[in-house]
Amino acid sequence: MKTTVCLFFAVCILCCSLCGCGTQSGVSAGGDSSPAASNQNEFSQQTEGSAPASDESDVVDLTVLSSTMVYAEVYNMMFTPEDYIDKTVKMRGQFAVGQYVDENGQLDPEPVYYACVIADATACCQQGLEFVLDGDFTYPDDYPELGSQITVTGVFQTYEDNGYTCCHLVDAKFID
Amino acid sequence: MLDKLMFYFQYPFVRYALVVGILIAFCSSLLGVTLVLKRFSFIGDGLSHVAFGAMAVATVLNLTSNMLLILPVTVICAVLLLRTGQNTKIKGDAAVAMISVGALALGYLLMNLFSTSANLTGDVCSTLFGSTSILTLSKGEVWLCVAISVLVIAVFLLLYHKIFAVTFDENFAQATGTKANFYNLIIAIVIALVIVLAMNLVGSLLISALVIFPALSSMRIFKSFGSVIICSAIFSVVCAAIGILISILAGTPVGSTIVAIDIGGFIMFWLAGAVMGGIAK
Repeated sequence: MKTTVCLFFAVCILCCSLCGCGTQSGVSAGGDSSPAASNQNEFSQQTEGSAPASDESDVVDLTVLSSTMVYAEVYNMMFTPEDYIDKTVKMRGQFAVGQYVDENGQLDPEPVYYACVIADATACCQQGLEFVLDGDFTYPDDYPELGSQITVTGVFQTYEDNGYTCCHLVDAKFID
Repeated sequence: MLDKLMFYFQYPFVRYALVVGILIAFCSSLLGVTLVLKRFSFIGDGLSHVAFGAMAVATVLNLTSNMLLILPVTVICAVLLLRTGQNTKIKGDAAVAMISVGALALGYLLMNLFSTSANLTGDVCSTLFGSTSILTLSKGEVWLCVAISVLVIAVFLLLYHKIFAVTFDENFAQATGTKANFYNLIIAIVIALVIVLAMNLVGSLLISALVIFPALSSMRIFKSFGSVIICSAIFSVVCAAIGILISILAGTPVGSTIVAIDIGGFIMFWLAGAVMGGIAK
């Protein structure tokens, strides 16, 4: 019985200490949802084929992450947007547009928003992040083909729409 | 690769996933041996479908924490399944099959009829196959998983001798004064807790793999109850950790990657068992 009780307490202590790892100091700059941008930049420099490291301190570079990680990070952006506000986000995904549908089921040719869509590893779940380009651009001439791969960067912001908090990237631009 | 791994570990959700994944794998392996020996493997599968149905209801009701509904419903069904299993009118396996497919069908129907989600297919797929749900746990869910895991481990350690007796010879245990029905009930409740936990890791369709593979693999090499459980726990934890790390690094689905590693481990143990002379029958 003594051994059993000792084992039980050992497991409890192990669990508590492992969970405590989640609040390491100096790791996150914005809450505990994403690693510090400085670390991100260090990794960008080390990663083959990644974008050059930025001098900015608050950069969330999703292009250096695996698809599983990108999906989880974008999920966090949607559910805890306050941790990402004013950070520069760089992401790669499929170009998509949002259009209104009228009473007859016809698509309004003028899109209401533009988005970069990423899929999870099972390819059944998708999440998109809306972006607003910096400058005057006309659809479709100044935009890539629908469904094509794009890399976009912009500043993460939230806005209210019909009582819902939505997220988008402002001052966005495409990166070749 | 090590740099990449260290970089990923700076994300709190990756650390949470590893902690929760290891705990779930550990808990499921502890009970796996008992379930396989008692021919109860499919109770895990049935309960996971019940948990899916409960999750569908929780989604339709827009509950902030799905666990609050899934946990009690699955535990109640586990108890009911055990009682129905003793009923001569509906045999145990028929009851499991009935509740299993019934809950799955009703859950999907409810989600189709009432869900407000824009991505229904994604929600269903994520629940059934786990997808990345282990990487999207909130801090509260992580603590709930830790608390339930500690409870499961405590129950198993404290009742180890009784579980051993009930697993191998229920009639003899009952004849010697052990309340076999009571301990079967405890086992069913603990299984329900593990199933609810494991849904986050591998999804409701793949849960049985976490229960079956570690136990069957260990049985290829070890023969005593204690050694099989210890080996099963180590096997399960190692496979879960490797599976999570590979899925994070390679961008593969978490649940199916873990199960694939389990299958690979089973083959290795089977070969090892054959080489050591204990050819699997």
